Amino acid sequence: MYLCSVFSISMAMKQLFFIKSLVCIVLILSASSCKAVEPEPQPQPVTYTLCNANATAEVQQLWAVLTSQFEQKAMSGVVANIDWNTREAENVYQWTGRYPALNVFDFINIHASRDVNKQGWLDYSDLTPVTDWYNAGGVVGCMWHWQVPANNGTNWTCSPGTEPGLTSFDASKVNDPASAEYKRMIHDIDQVAGYLKKMQKLGIPVIWRPLHEAAGNTYDFQGGKAWFWWGAQGAEVYKQLWRFMFDRLVNYHKLNNLIWVWTSQVGDDTWYPGDDVVDVVGRDNYYALQYPLAKEYKTLKEKYPNKLITLAECGNGDEVDMSLWSKIWAEGSRWSWFMPWYDYNYNNGTSDEHQFVGKDWWLDAFATGLVLDREEMKQLLKK
Amino acid sequence: MRLGIRVIAICVLCSVSAAVCTLYAIERTILLGPKTIDKAWKDNIVLEPRHFMDAHAGDIVTVYNDNAKRIAQGAFQNPKTWQGVAPEYGYFGINGPFRMVLTDDILAIAREHGVAIGGHDYRILQVTLSDAADYQETMVWNGPSVVMKDDWSANAEIPASSLATLRVGDGLRLHVSKVKQGAAAKLMDFTWNVIDPSVDGVPVGENGYTWYIYDDAPLLKLAFAGTGGNVAMRIGGTGYKLDGIGIVRQVGEVSEDYSQAQRAPREYVLQPGELFHGEKVYPLDWSGYLKLTAAPFQESTENDVLVISYTIDPQAKAAGITPQLSFRSPKTWGELTGAAEPIAYLLDGTDVVYMFDSVALDEVKTRGLVLAGIGFTLTKIELISAQ
Repeated sequence: MYLCSVFSISMAMKQLFFIKSLVCIVLILSASSCKAVEPEPQPQPVTYTLCNANATAEVQQLWAVLTSQFEQKAMSGVVANIDWNTREAENVYQWTGRYPALNVFDFINIHASRDVNKQGWLDYSDLTPVTDWYNAGGVVGCMWHWQVPANNGTNWTCSPGTEPGLTSFDASKVNDPASAEYKRMIHDIDQVAGYLKKMQKLGIPVIWRPLHEAAGNTYDFQGGKAWFWWGAQGAEVYKQLWRFMFDRLVNYHKLNNLIWVWTSQVGDDTWYPGDDVVDVVGRDNYYALQYPLAKEYKTLKEKYPNKLITLAECGNGDEVDMSLWSKIWAEGSRWSWFMPWYDYNYNNGTSDEHQFVGKDWWLDAFATGLVLDREEMKQLLKK
Repeated sequence: MRLGIRVIAICVLCSVSAAVCTLYAIERTILLGPKTIDKAWKDNIVLEPRHFMDAHAGDIVTVYNDNAKRIAQGAFQNPKTWQGVAPEYGYFGINGPFRMVLTDDILAIAREHGVAIGGHDYRILQVTLSDAADYQETMVWNGPSVVMKDDWSANAEIPASSLATLRVGDGLRLHVSKVKQGAAAKLMDFTWNVIDPSVDGVPVGENGYTWYIYDDAPLLKLAFAGTGGNVAMRIGGTGYKLDGIGIVRQVGEVSEDYSQAQRAPREYVLQPGELFHGEKVYPLDWSGYLKLTAAPFQESTENDVLVISYTIDPQAKAAGITPQLSFRSPKTWGELTGAAEPIAYLLDGTDVVYMFDSVALDEVKTRGLVLAGIGFTLTKIELISAQ
């Protein structure tokens, strides 16, 4: 009996143990199966926010289109032939029957603008090239090869150095209101602000890309250095200058029609002015082959995940011809827009072939169906 | 009497012959092309020093060429420094044959290092060396001198009468003084438009500048100005004083003796898969290298291989040197695979087959590669896909 009882108890214990084990297994299986059916954590959609909270309605509208198209399609762009025209856009139209969406103007020759110089050869205060382009549905961009007086007192240049044709202009004087450099900077920024303000009054949003390529080839090889004066004093001074300009244009001049594009040299993270004063990170590349471009895109995208990434300048270089856009896209680059450089000789009739990209390149780009032209941007912007 | 006539006749013949010899010197070929000077200043050919051992200041090097694009530029460079042998020869537009007048300074460079002919977007057919006497100059304008200011605002007005004898093939030589660094000239027609794209801001050196005319177009523009005292040409620029203008005319003969001429390396048309085909000498001092861009590797995979063909320098063995090559990164010149030390491929006459690892493949697709080495002549590089 005892034995029987013991046996029975033992059996009961075993059964209980078995049941407990079974319950545990079921519970574990249940827990793991519950875990398995949990949804995978989805990446949070990136929110691209303009750095200027007071951006105009037109800027917000353009921004909404740019961000919605980002990584889906690229906006096509060109730069003016030197300064204040849409000559390159006409080339693209002649080659393809389609206009690029973006035309970027350059304030490179503001010292020769007739509103400030009677001997000048162009007039930035006459916005006709800009308004014609905008009214036709185009997106307006402005960049600035900011020329200052050369050491010889007669030439104008962006290139730093001590030789007569270069400039010793010291960007660190941005902190010294009594200095000649500071006064020059204020003078020039205010002059440009005047043109941009006219655009704002006309409701024209501007993709604004100043102080580009600041690090030059500092990180490309030993002995590399900045090739523009605004980078010649190093990263800290450069960032102060960027913020100085931002403050002057946005807070002092109340310019809210600008989308701010900072141009990276890749590897120059310490030169980045900051999320609060930059909307788009650009890259200028004249070794524009599909593979290195894709690597650079990926690097910038990882470094600046909340910014649009754009190919702000591109084209054939000294060593290689630019890859076709179809190959660039296929390799994985998803630049927000691209802007091949201008060819003065081609536009002047002294060269038969475009130095940077020509007809075949543009035909290929539009044939991808992944490149927005002016008409498509006009529809997206509901202009 | 007859003897007297004979003597006189011989004397006359001798004097005519002497005069002809003096007047018509010989333009001799020192280099035979073709040699393509492709885009982006990547190509050049060095004229050997031997050509200049007997040359004199004032003698003229002429580069006959073809296939020049409208943006083509030429240059005469010091192969040691790759700077122009004189400021005016650092770069210039090409619109027909181009020339360099030898000076004592240039001769010193040429006799020690030779002279490199470079630039972009044209093809050298032939290079000749002429005595100064091959060219005769007639001064056609002697001022008053004009100082070309820094702001390019000054110009000299040249009357049509001064240029009346100018014809195709002639050169217009600017005699200058007070030349500053960066001096440049701009030759315009009477309407202030540049008379030819090749003379829009050409560098001016101590020896001035000579513009050779190879077609009728600029002469027609000059003719539009009329004749006599009408302004036919305006010569402007910056950083020099224009003192005079001469018309230079070639009067020499061309020798067809090419026995002393240097031969340009044979040029090949690349076949599919070929990245290089020619003769690239790797001297016995490690100075030879060839850089390949990343362009041909954009779609390469680790299945691809490079096949390198070459011939061994027969002098290497005598010099106690083992011919070898290595594959380097264009950025660091370190080993392409990222290894700490370059890997040497010893050359025994058979082709080198190079297989990419992932690091090397990434580097060639990003930046290309440099082929460094010693003691051989590279003849061919092929990129072959195993797929």
